[in-house]
Amino acid sequence: MIEGTRLQTAGRKAAAGGSRPARRPAPDRRPAAAPAPEPVEAEAPASEPAPRLLALKHKHLLGMEGLTADEIALILDTARSFAEVSTRSIKKVPTLRGRTIVNFFMEPSTRTRSSFEIAEKRLSADTLNFSPSQSSVVKGESLLDTARNLEAMAPDMIVIRHKASGAPHFLARHCRSNIINAGDGWHEHPTQALLDAFTIREKKGRLQGLRVAIVGDLMHSRVLRSNIFLLKTMGADVVVCGPPTLIPVELSRLGVGVTFRVDEAVEGADVVMMLRIQTERQKGGAFPSTREYYNLFGLTAERARRARPDVIIMHPGPMNRGVEIDSAVADGPYSVILEQVTNGVAVRMAVLYLLAGGTLGELAD
Amino acid sequence: MIDPATKTDAVMDLLIVDGRVAERRAPEKGRGAAPAGGRVLEATGHWVCPGLVDMHVHLREPGQEHKESIESGTRAAAAGGFTSVACMPNTDPWNDGLSVTEYIVAEARRRGVVNVFPIGCVSKGGLGAELAEIGDMVRSGAVAVSDDGRPVGNSYLLRMALEYAKIFGIPLIDHCEDRNLSASGVMHEGFVSTVLGLKGIPAASEEVAVATDLAVAAMSGGRLHVAHLSTRGSLEKIRRARADGVAVTCEATPHHLVLTDQSVADSHYDPNMKMNPPLRSEEDRQALLQGLRDGTIDAIASDHAPHHADEKLVEFDEAPFGIIGLETTVPLVLDRCVRKEGLAPARFVELLAQNPARILGINKGTLAVGADADVTIIDPDLGRTVDVSQFKSKARNSPFHGWRLRGWPVATVVAGRVVHELLPVATR
Repeated sequence: MIEGTRLQTAGRKAAAGGSRPARRPAPDRRPAAAPAPEPVEAEAPASEPAPRLLALKHKHLLGMEGLTADEIALILDTARSFAEVSTRSIKKVPTLRGRTIVNFFMEPSTRTRSSFEIAEKRLSADTLNFSPSQSSVVKGESLLDTARNLEAMAPDMIVIRHKASGAPHFLARHCRSNIINAGDGWHEHPTQALLDAFTIREKKGRLQGLRVAIVGDLMHSRVLRSNIFLLKTMGADVVVCGPPTLIPVELSRLGVGVTFRVDEAVEGADVVMMLRIQTERQKGGAFPSTREYYNLFGLTAERARRARPDVIIMHPGPMNRGVEIDSAVADGPYSVILEQVTNGVAVRMAVLYLLAGGTLGELAD
Repeated sequence: MIDPATKTDAVMDLLIVDGRVAERRAPEKGRGAAPAGGRVLEATGHWVCPGLVDMHVHLREPGQEHKESIESGTRAAAAGGFTSVACMPNTDPWNDGLSVTEYIVAEARRRGVVNVFPIGCVSKGGLGAELAEIGDMVRSGAVAVSDDGRPVGNSYLLRMALEYAKIFGIPLIDHCEDRNLSASGVMHEGFVSTVLGLKGIPAASEEVAVATDLAVAAMSGGRLHVAHLSTRGSLEKIRRARADGVAVTCEATPHHLVLTDQSVADSHYDPNMKMNPPLRSEEDRQALLQGLRDGTIDAIASDHAPHHADEKLVEFDEAPFGIIGLETTVPLVLDRCVRKEGLAPARFVELLAQNPARILGINKGTLAVGADADVTIIDPDLGRTVDVSQFKSKARNSPFHGWRLRGWPVATVVAGRVVHELLPVATR
């Protein structure tokens, strides 16, 4: 029991190179210089800097927008520590024992919901799963009333998935619990972006300077938005691609390249991330048929060859085989799609742990 | 006294007898000598303006009294410095005929505290198919026609309505929007909607409809009034059409003059930042301010749209469009447009009294001798904080709660009767 519950973090040396959390500044950090007119972006270090943060100061995780590189690195490093737990025979630590977490899923979800649930269980939290089909939502109860009733049972955290962008912000305004956004409308899906980043870092050792192509329905994708915020903050080079009918306006202002030529997007990519095409969108007139979509934007083995030889292929799921991605690519040697799912658990454990007030220091000890 | 209709901007005494302006004179020694039984409002240092006219409000009665009623809405108007309001026909049932128009007029007489001018439907049931009985409604007191939130999307019907309205000399007020382009958008389409993941309503959805309406108005010769104009492109089209002699007027709302789409992000999806047309870009807002100065915009109207608190306490996507404005319009315009943008006080009165009265063809908007004694007294230096809990309106859906604003109405007089006093300006 004891040994099964103790976190083992020795030997988790990451790309940072013996990154024992410490207060020393990163080696290449500029000295606090004379007054500069604007905060200067730190020069790109060759590798991830040693984590300068040990704890997350936020009460909620509503999105990746606004999170700093240090905060993202902290979550990813913490996830590294937790990844080991899932490799044990007894996959459980007592970290969140006695805490109650509600998984409030107002939209269908397989991966995210199971992933959160497993993460919570491996942290020994008590979990309650709550979804519309089994709740008063079908009786027309408002989101606010539902949330207040959940709150009345004094949960510590609420993990929310909702079809309306901003629903987690709404909850954050009206609830005392920590709110974790598990996907809101077209807005953000921060833990997906974190698990994507974790997966990339495991494979490539870094995020800085990588060329990441994101292809698919950009308009309706919360995964896209969270990934752009995270990847740009971590210094990756992002190019996005989709039919112009599915590209939200002024997207390039987020600092990404925008193209509707998939070959151009994939060219020289270190990472190709495919986004799901929802067939409902076809009814909205965004493209004439899934067949034509596949012809123009589907990731085939031939197209994938334009990427770097060590490219990794990612997909947040659920996949439409033969629409946005060919099975030969999805199941091929460059695909890390199932690893993404595995890593999701560790990343969510890290997020839950840090939002509950945990620190990386405690883990390292 | 500021009364652009009579080119007046001077310190004056105003004598009101039997609900009308009886006399205006330069103050003399021994002023304040009101006729026996009269009352003096001491307004030294304040602006004495013709009663303000809000030409675009929703009083929700009949049918939606949980949101607002004629009584509560007119109390809100009085508190906000308005002596007249024109109410849109999207009641339940819609004001598309004599019976509803007569009900509104009668209820306003019974319980209203300011003048209420009904706006009738263009089409039966506001359905955009057949002309409503406009003549009947005008006979009962309607001063304009509009299908309110529903654009008159059928250009043929629009032509018929504009031509038919010429019989009565009333304007057709259109909510210009191409619903196909708006689709199910909930905020202005731009960088902010992209980041927030909310479906956008492009500027073009308004501009397409404005262009269509202007072309039809040019042909039909009727009087077109564009409601709550919100984009730079719409304004340019109006400017050009007017130069070509098209009889078109337009209004802007205070929220489009003060807020932008960025407010949706800054407020973290506050449903009180959701209205239609949506809060536009900063560039659009600047263009509107320019339109106020150069005269392209004729009127400022609140588009007072009360909703029950429960209706707005939902996800942004689910919330109904609209915010209330009767009790914040005057201070917002005074603080943000007059004080911060240098809009002239006389222009303020034109935008909020003289022009809306002229557009609606009602005998208001001036303090000329013989005019109805509707007066709004404004203290341009009074600083107060907006507190929705003090509103006379039944609704609380305002994004301006907690805003500190300078310049407030301190007395509202309708036909010689004081219906609202914020400060004890009265002596004796």
